[in-house]
Amino acid sequence: MIGAAAQVPPPTPPAAVARRHRHLLDFEGWTAEDVASLLETAEVMAQVLTRPVKRVPALQGYTVATLFFEESTRTRLSFERAARAQSADVISFAAGSSSLKKGESVRDTLRTIEQLQADLYVVRHPSAGVPHQLARWTAGAVVNAGDGRHAHPTQALLDAYTLRAALTEAGLPPAERARPFAGRRLAIVGDVEHSRVARSNAELFTLLGGEVVLCGPAALLPRELSRLPGVHLTTDLDEAARDADALMALRIQRERLGPRRLPSLAEYVARYQLRERHLEVAEPHAFVMHPGPINRDVEVSSELADGPRSLVERQVASGVPVRMAVLYALLVGKR
Amino acid sequence: MRLALRGGRLLDGAGDRGVHDLYVRDGVIEGLDLGGEVDLDVDAAGRVVTPAFLDLHAHLRDPGQEVKEDLASGLAAAAAGGYGPVVSMANTIPVVDGPGIVADLVARAARVEGARLRPAAAISKGLRGEELTDLAALKAAGAVMVTDDGVPVADSRLFRSACEYAAALGLIVQTHSEDPSLRDGGVMNEGAVSQRLGLPGNPDASEAVMVFRDGEVARLTGARVHLAHVSSRRGLEVARWLKAGGAPVTVEVTPHHLTLTDECLRSFDPVYKVAPPLRTAADVEALRAGLVDGAVDSIGTDHAPHTLAEKQQDMLSAPFGIANLEVAFPLLYTRLVATGSLPLERLLWLLQDGPARVMGWPAPRLEPGAPADLTVLDLEAEREVDGTRFKSKAKHTPWQGEALRGWPVATVVAGRLVHGEG
Repeated sequence: MIGAAAQVPPPTPPAAVARRHRHLLDFEGWTAEDVASLLETAEVMAQVLTRPVKRVPALQGYTVATLFFEESTRTRLSFERAARAQSADVISFAAGSSSLKKGESVRDTLRTIEQLQADLYVVRHPSAGVPHQLARWTAGAVVNAGDGRHAHPTQALLDAYTLRAALTEAGLPPAERARPFAGRRLAIVGDVEHSRVARSNAELFTLLGGEVVLCGPAALLPRELSRLPGVHLTTDLDEAARDADALMALRIQRERLGPRRLPSLAEYVARYQLRERHLEVAEPHAFVMHPGPINRDVEVSSELADGPRSLVERQVASGVPVRMAVLYALLVGKR
Repeated sequence: MRLALRGGRLLDGAGDRGVHDLYVRDGVIEGLDLGGEVDLDVDAAGRVVTPAFLDLHAHLRDPGQEVKEDLASGLAAAAAGGYGPVVSMANTIPVVDGPGIVADLVARAARVEGARLRPAAAISKGLRGEELTDLAALKAAGAVMVTDDGVPVADSRLFRSACEYAAALGLIVQTHSEDPSLRDGGVMNEGAVSQRLGLPGNPDASEAVMVFRDGEVARLTGARVHLAHVSSRRGLEVARWLKAGGAPVTVEVTPHHLTLTDECLRSFDPVYKVAPPLRTAADVEALRAGLVDGAVDSIGTDHAPHTLAEKQQDMLSAPFGIANLEVAFPLLYTRLVATGSLPLERLLWLLQDGPARVMGWPAPRLEPGAPADLTVLDLEAEREVDGTRFKSKAKHTPWQGEALRGWPVATVVAGRLVHGEG
């Protein structure tokens, strides 16, 4: 079996990405060209995953450690699958199951983990910036799997990958390789303030030439984000949806929103749930997206989430090839 | 004990007194160019001899958090920074909220070589903001100021009562002017940077609102209220308006708010996490303008040491505070005076006469009979900041490796050389 797997030619290393980037923390310093290269690698990885033997030896001998200081089975499994599909060894560290105690510094934890000699750390943490901190302290590569409200770059990459493919299938291929979203508009709806998905998508879609409209209740829509180039804000969902190429609903995390921020969930649903009528004012081909897991009939109506324009399942499926491409780009470049 | 500081240029609030040998005997200044036998010579040739600085705002962490700092390390750090009198904050464990703790601090400090301890005591028991402390007893035990610094006094009625007592007793009230509910869980300045970084923001409005309340209560009660660590343009504008209307308030700013901005947080390094937070470049400009035009009355350090391990936690968990006693003067000299934006005399005033006036103490002067609290400054030699050599237990600093001028090379407190070599 290993012999058969070995016959699958590994994709061309995205040399430029590997040379320029040791880590994927957010998209600061990333060019549209770097991202295009990653997305193309992800396409090759997706082909690998359609074969009978879904494994290549590209990362044999490398060790990937997943450090999750915040629960997320889905993202962790997706990264671990992406590592194993390239024959890397995987170490899982979940803060909940460790002896991590209050007052132990992030650095102390890293010192312990580093004894396991991983080449790459996939990090999720409830505080913004922890991947940056770890990147300063470790010789290994760091991939941000979600830090506080700050960034979730692989989610944005898989969203871009999914939407680019869907637009192409709809007869709207990108006019420019590195700017696949030139002339396109993505509307992101929900609790923007607390959302790392919103921030990373705003960063990436504008980097790839698109426009982003952020929409939500005023108390959850930070005005300062409108200073980002290509980003607009509105509290009016009908306005946000107008002429959009894709409508993305964010997950509402009720535990984060007390009555001081949101009068009631019913009020939110009435004003900000994505519904059929929003698709009607969007572009004819417009797609519905959600980073998951969905609160059904809260952020988005079941009708839309399960409907023909929904990319929700494809987003999930894109996670593995996109993360394969990220791991590959960062690790192979160090060889 | 007799000392001679030889050949320095003598500068104090009265002006440039020229180059002289300054003699110190038994804790007081004896006179100029007297000659005769001395126990110790301090070479001040080519340097400036000036009254030691006053810091109305330092967290010495003693008692209870000696892992961060203690009286010995904190007062040694202050001496190394050129400071004489240092007002220690009350947010210790236990809180300095009873006369016994004040008396204990005073007694222990007397046995420590370094700067002079001038303890502050708490406004509310345990800094909980619920019950008033016994201000008269605290003053009798040696407290020179009352403050819940570190925690804003949320209850306006309690704050008013504290001001009424303090006014009657002649105690200075120092505030920590942040509205707790507007500050919410903010760990940095709220603005474009915090929103970009996804870190919870603390808006300038939280400061402006509370400066206004604190100033109005000062006006109402006649208490002398020192507005600590004003960090924002809006906060300073409100303070200006209060002062113009005759409210008995004074304004402190810190070295870090004068030199750093929220852009520093892009590194996600908690060494920059401080309360109130580092603001924007426009705020720094406004504070600097306030140094020149008189809106600011004193520069206090808000020296707030923590362990390296605490500062290597994540941005949400790491404690607030920057340890800066040992870099305050060189930092401000290099960034403000050497660049031509602030006259040296004004910087010295903000560290000497300004804080003395806030406290109602005599202006420090290089005159016979005055307390011999002196510092010798080398304004020429450039040296890189090296936190590992700090006397403070906090060896990490935002200015690590930066080349600065204006280092205090010797400090005399109560007639004894407590920093530098004879």
